[in-house]
Amino acid sequence: MEIIIVLIIVAIVGYLIYHSLPNTKFEKAQNLFKTKNYVQAINILNVIFDKHVDAPAKLAECKFNLGNQASAKPEKVKFFNEVVEIRKRINKSESITKFESIEAKALFEIALIQYEETKGDIDKLNQNIKFIDTVNKKGSESDFSSLKKKHFYDLADSHFKKATDKEKSDKLSEAIQIYNTGKDYAEKSDNKTVKNNSVTRIAICQLKRNDKINLDDVSEIGYSDKSYQKELYYRYAIQLLRNKEYTPAEKVISSNLNFQSADIDKLSEILKAEKNNNAVTKIEEINTLIEQLQKKSLSTEELKVFYDSLDKTINEVKFIDIQVSEKISALKPTLFNRLLTQYISAEQFGNAISIIQKYPKFWESPELLKNLGICCYGYTSKGLLTERNYQTVISGWLTSVFSDRVILKSLDDTTWDDNYTFTLVEAIGSNYSQHKETPDNVNYDEISESNISIGATQKELLQQFETIIHKEIQDANLSKLVNDFYDKEKEALENIISVIEKDIFFATPHFAKQNGFNNEIIEELDNDYHNYSNEEALEAGVPYIKNSNSTVVYQYFYANDLIDKVKAAINNENSIAIKNLNTKENKQWIEKFDSISELVEDKLFNSISNKISEDDENEKLIPVMEECILFSSQNAKLKHQYSNYVANYCISKVNENEMDNFKALSLMKGAYLCSPNNPKIVKNFITLIRFNLMDILNDRTRKMNEIYTILDWVKKNNMSQTYKQNSNELSTARQEILQQLKKAGADISLFDEGTFSSILSGHSLNSQGLKIKKVLTYLQELGNEQEFSNALDQLRRRLRQQFNLDDDLPF
Amino acid sequence: MKNPYTILGVNQNAVKAEILKAQMLAMKKKEFSLQEIAIAAKQLLDPAKRLAADFMFPAKIKVKRIQPIQSTLTHQEINVNDLNENAFNSLK
Repeated sequence: MEIIIVLIIVAIVGYLIYHSLPNTKFEKAQNLFKTKNYVQAINILNVIFDKHVDAPAKLAECKFNLGNQASAKPEKVKFFNEVVEIRKRINKSESITKFESIEAKALFEIALIQYEETKGDIDKLNQNIKFIDTVNKKGSESDFSSLKKKHFYDLADSHFKKATDKEKSDKLSEAIQIYNTGKDYAEKSDNKTVKNNSVTRIAICQLKRNDKINLDDVSEIGYSDKSYQKELYYRYAIQLLRNKEYTPAEKVISSNLNFQSADIDKLSEILKAEKNNNAVTKIEEINTLIEQLQKKSLSTEELKVFYDSLDKTINEVKFIDIQVSEKISALKPTLFNRLLTQYISAEQFGNAISIIQKYPKFWESPELLKNLGICCYGYTSKGLLTERNYQTVISGWLTSVFSDRVILKSLDDTTWDDNYTFTLVEAIGSNYSQHKETPDNVNYDEISESNISIGATQKELLQQFETIIHKEIQDANLSKLVNDFYDKEKEALENIISVIEKDIFFATPHFAKQNGFNNEIIEELDNDYHNYSNEEALEAGVPYIKNSNSTVVYQYFYANDLIDKVKAAINNENSIAIKNLNTKENKQWIEKFDSISELVEDKLFNSISNKISEDDENEKLIPVMEECILFSSQNAKLKHQYSNYVANYCISKVNENEMDNFKALSLMKGAYLCSPNNPKIVKNFITLIRFNLMDILNDRTRKMNEIYTILDWVKKNNMSQTYKQNSNELSTARQEILQQLKKAGADISLFDEGTFSSILSGHSLNSQGLKIKKVLTYLQELGNEQEFSNALDQLRRRLRQQFNLDDDLPF
Repeated sequence: MKNPYTILGVNQNAVKAEILKAQMLAMKKKEFSLQEIAIAAKQLLDPAKRLAADFMFPAKIKVKRIQPIQSTLTHQEINVNDLNENAFNSLK
């Protein structure tokens, strides 16, 4: 009985101890938490707060849930603050880690409640942002981020409202500043309405302040409030009007203020009246300038400003009074002529060239083209050519002098020539009697004392110019540039003149390209090619190419360029570049033009020859030459050049022990393939076969298999007639080896492939013997021994028949 | 190359006799070297070369005589300030 009592006491004590353990209590608290009995759970958790690592977090969770259950905001905040307060009691770092995520949730709830209290107040919103920025956000980062964005969104709204108040009270600078702040918040929170409206209102404020603004490329305006847009564009149109920017003002009215309104009508009326008044003012100004011009009191510079201003004035006036604008337009040639005359007489040739070139289609006027020639001559003779301008000046000069019409124009101004006639028979500006309309004193008759050659005059002018550019340019580099360019331009011009029959305007390539009629010249050359298959016409057109890809001239250039690219690749020893150029399409381009395809081989041959003359032992040239042979459809010369080069290279390198026999054989295989009947190539190839077989025999090579591969290739239908005639060398080598074997006491019948004695002897060869036998077999098969034995067999047969001998008798 | 007309001091229409006379005069004046005078005379006496010399005289371009612009346009009394800038005030 006592025992039982003791046991009961022990059990009770054990039970009590068990229930007082922290784990047991935490489990109890957790069960209470699950049944939402947070108050009792809190009591237990407070007891084991420092004894169980999870107790602080669970306690926080209970209080957090109580906060969520609470209906009134102050009560909620009280619970959430209690959660936050728990941190102060925690001593263990492991407990902190588990607690922090609950704390962050409580802090978020506090921030949310505080946000709801802000109601758009800028200070409160900023204060809460500060609160969010400083608190622990562990595990709730995205919630906090979204909440912060809401603050920015509200701040954007609030700032916009504040700015409008400032704007209403005409505090425009402050308003602009606040609109900008609001716009920044709007950009951070995707508040597009505030962003777009702020941009528009800022522009309105600027206009109210009379700031000069530009609304080009301000896309936000189009998405802003319509009433704001109306106000903005109306104010903007007024600003443009005040600044006399009539065309933009008109554009704003027609594009952005196209609705019925008395105010807009009034704006349009005033715009029209302003334009009218502007035209009146301009006409007055023009008339004043004309008066000064007539009194010759206008300087060249003032005249230039007057001339340059005309186009703008014409544009402005034409919408008010078209007839007046035409009258102003009619002033242009006169003013141009005055200005040009002043420039020429003051020897300001650069300015003169510049205004001539800006004159629309100046080259169609023989007078202007002649004056251009004079200015180009004067500019050059004054030593003003530079690297920047020489092309324009030289092309202008040549185009002018080569124009027959320009020279004929000189006849108009004098009377000394009345007793003469002039002939175009040798004129350099035409190759045919193509000028249909010529003056009465101009003909195509023979040159005589009274029938003066226009051509001689043109040549005299060219010679005078050439004297200047040859002798008077001090800078050697510039002199070379100028003279080379002159020669090229002149040659190109002469070429097109010699080809084109039609009476078109001939110009140098630079002149034609600069003034945009090069394609017209190319078109004529294309026509000439179509009519006469004249590739010279295409050649003449090449310097005129500029964006002319669809023309035959361009195709011709492209085909030629391919050859040039191959030549460049030869020069750079770049066989891969040649391989890449060797396409079916590229070859078709070349084949299209006889003058190109016929010369491909010669051009490549010459380029290679030049490279060889630089270095006749350059191995990199071998693959380049191989690619050239493949590239050129006619390649006999290239093959010959290649074979000889390879043979010479191999001979030299092998003799100087700078190349092993196998490499030489490999290279010579290519040479033999290209020139199988060239005795020099063939003999050297056979010698290398012998060298390689001897290397195998004497264990001097590791390339045995590779050597036999090449030899098998030779055996397999690659023995040319010349090869067969020169292969004794191999038979002789074989005989010598057999003699040496015999001397050394070897049974040479064993090395004779398929002989009866070798089968009967019953001996077999070791590996060395088999190697010798194989070498001997190759020497036999590659040498002409086979043919020799065949000849003997025939002789035997004929003798047997003659003497009626049995077939099996030995001979 | 200097203009032969300038060296000899003759106009563009000078006939052979005038050129020869001008050559003698120029030699007396000694303003230019004898070689320059000889070349200038030779150039003007050779029609093809003389035409080359004529080339260097700028071509006269036929243009209309410049006249003041006649217009019926008259100045209109207007004032931009008459416009009501606040006509479309959107912050009412």
